[in-house]
Amino acid sequence: MEQKDDIYYIEKVKAGQTNYYSYIVERYQDIVFSIAMKVLKNREDAEEMAQETFIKAYKSLHTFKGTAKFSTWLYRITYNNCISEVRKRKMHFASTDDVQIADEADEMNLDGIPEENRAQAIKAAMDKLPEDEYTLILLYYFEEQSIEEISKVTKLSESNTKVKLYRARKKLYTILNELMKDELYTIL
Amino acid sequence: MNELEDIKLKAFLQNMELEKPGSGFTVQVMNKIFEEDSALEQIKSERILGKGFWIISILFVMLLAAIFVVSNTGMQADSQIGQLLPEAGQGLTQSYDSFFSKLGTLPLSIAGITIAVSVLIFIDKIIASNSKIFA
Repeated sequence: MEQKDDIYYIEKVKAGQTNYYSYIVERYQDIVFSIAMKVLKNREDAEEMAQETFIKAYKSLHTFKGTAKFSTWLYRITYNNCISEVRKRKMHFASTDDVQIADEADEMNLDGIPEENRAQAIKAAMDKLPEDEYTLILLYYFEEQSIEEISKVTKLSESNTKVKLYRARKKLYTILNELMKDELYTIL
Repeated sequence: MNELEDIKLKAFLQNMELEKPGSGFTVQVMNKIFEEDSALEQIKSERILGKGFWIISILFVMLLAAIFVVSNTGMQADSQIGQLLPEAGQGLTQSYDSFFSKLGTLPLSIAGITIAVSVLIFIDKIIASNSKIFA
């Protein structure tokens, strides 16, 4: 459904009805902005980069053949933009080894998180994830992109993507565990 | 990590609120796109061989023709200087003569082209600074 809708708007834009591109921007602005925000950690810079991403995608729209999902193609541009911005600013694109994964990460019971705190806890845990893992988790769970699609976005091999995703998920559980422990301490 | 937990995590994450850009984000993006589109259209609509090009080409041909005529008739610089500047000092006359005698050692066509190019660059600068008038 999503795929068909995107193609519909893209065909309109390609046919010269530029206005239809606003539907694409509306649809993907949150996720593109979230990734930009995670990398740049500044709203103004993130907005600028998200804008650049959409403009770059618009300019290259004629190269989009529709063989892959439009979202995958757009996320690839977003990811590339992030990497080049990080390089430009000589920032550190946080990688997997920055947070130690705890042994009990496998034993995380998500039902143990009080329902009213779940969204907040997940958001807090996601915020603590390094940029690359945040992007992997976001694409896999939030955007329901397949391993194959994510590997196209990140230019990692499928097996490498699987390993990275596994580690990112474990790390997310570790952070959630720590957050829950902290919460218990504050209650006690 | 079991599959059930994975499904639960997916459900949790899909309920997560993403960061949102400012309210005018889409409008800003679309405005930039329209601006770039119109700039591109303007460039496309501009003729590569505009009026400036033709003016410069005509002037260049005229200058070449003038050089050709002058080179055929010859330039009597030595004899004319006395008439043109009767009151000029001897020093000035000597330096003038020396300049043209040195210039005379160069092939006339090279000197002509050099002068023509200088004049054309000057005219091009005038046209560029008054592009609206010549457009």
